[in-house]
Amino acid sequence: MGTLSENFERMAIRMEAAASLFERTVAMLEERESARSGEVQKIVAAVETSRENELLRKLEAAEQQIAELQAQIGTQVGTHGEVPAPSARKTVPATTTQFLAKQGISTLESIEAGALDAALTGLSLEQRIAVKAQLLRAGLAG
Amino acid sequence: MKLEAMAVHLPDVSGHPNRAPFSGVLTLVDEPSTKPPSGARGHRVILTRAAALAALPSLLGMAVDYAPAWDGHDARRKCGIITHADVEGKRLLVAGYLYAKDFPEVERQMRQCLPGSMGMSWELADAHVEDMRAEVWTLTRATFTGAAILLRDKAAYRDTSFELAPTRCRTFAASAPRATREAPAPRPNEARKESTWKVRQEKAWAR
Repeated sequence: MGTLSENFERMAIRMEAAASLFERTVAMLEERESARSGEVQKIVAAVETSRENELLRKLEAAEQQIAELQAQIGTQVGTHGEVPAPSARKTVPATTTQFLAKQGISTLESIEAGALDAALTGLSLEQRIAVKAQLLRAGLAG
Repeated sequence: MKLEAMAVHLPDVSGHPNRAPFSGVLTLVDEPSTKPPSGARGHRVILTRAAALAALPSLLGMAVDYAPAWDGHDARRKCGIITHADVEGKRLLVAGYLYAKDFPEVERQMRQCLPGSMGMSWELADAHVEDMRAEVWTLTRATFTGAAILLRDKAAYRDTSFELAPTRCRTFAASAPRATREAPAPRPNEARKESTWKVRQEKAWAR
């Protein structure tokens, strides 16, 4: 009896996993189909207020995090009297590097916050967050 | 300048209490939007002139709607109708009527707001994007399903506009009887009746 129940339980878990995978596949296929055909069901020429607010909040949080990290580095330098070793990872996607180069930022080693903000003004909020996050991950904006 | 126009002709009704004529710039053609529109996944868009011209017939008879905060669309608050659409240069101009009696708050907002502060926004269905990987989406085909009146800075295109005609015929029609009541002009027929009544009264007293 116990074995039967365990079998059912195992089967239910597997079916659940399969259903979840199936749902993800359908969503992916729909997205791919939409991207390939270029059809968009609905577009409205009004700015997405809630989304914009959400992205602004994210941007603010990211900027705050950058400021905190900058402060931490400053403290470390002050305490030990030496500049900390640079982050091991210093890779930024080529598209980002190219974009920044186009905007006049050729050396990624010393980016000023003002210059970076000015360079990113042409981008959407989402893209600005993505670029800043990439720089942050690479240890270039800290 | 090239002009492409299309209109639905409604019969003129002098002093219609529920029609307030409006005109506006709905969008710009062959110009990238100032901000990414809702539903464009963060991409700015260009509505091509050809797509706009092909979609003009779908725009006529569509409603204009509004959101209480004037910051977007609410398809269930339809407060007017589009009867004219022109593409003049890069501007897609529209005109029509607001249901002013049914939506007095809309008319009030339009009359009281700062000039140039209100704009418009289209709603498109079944839009075809030339290349979805492009930074700016180019819309080569679409169907207009409606438009909204909103604050200009909430519109994806900054250079849109919306304004009501300065006054309505109804204003004159409504104000005329009031003026008559306040300062009634003497009517010859009533004056004659009054004098006849006085003569009769004098005769009656004399008796």
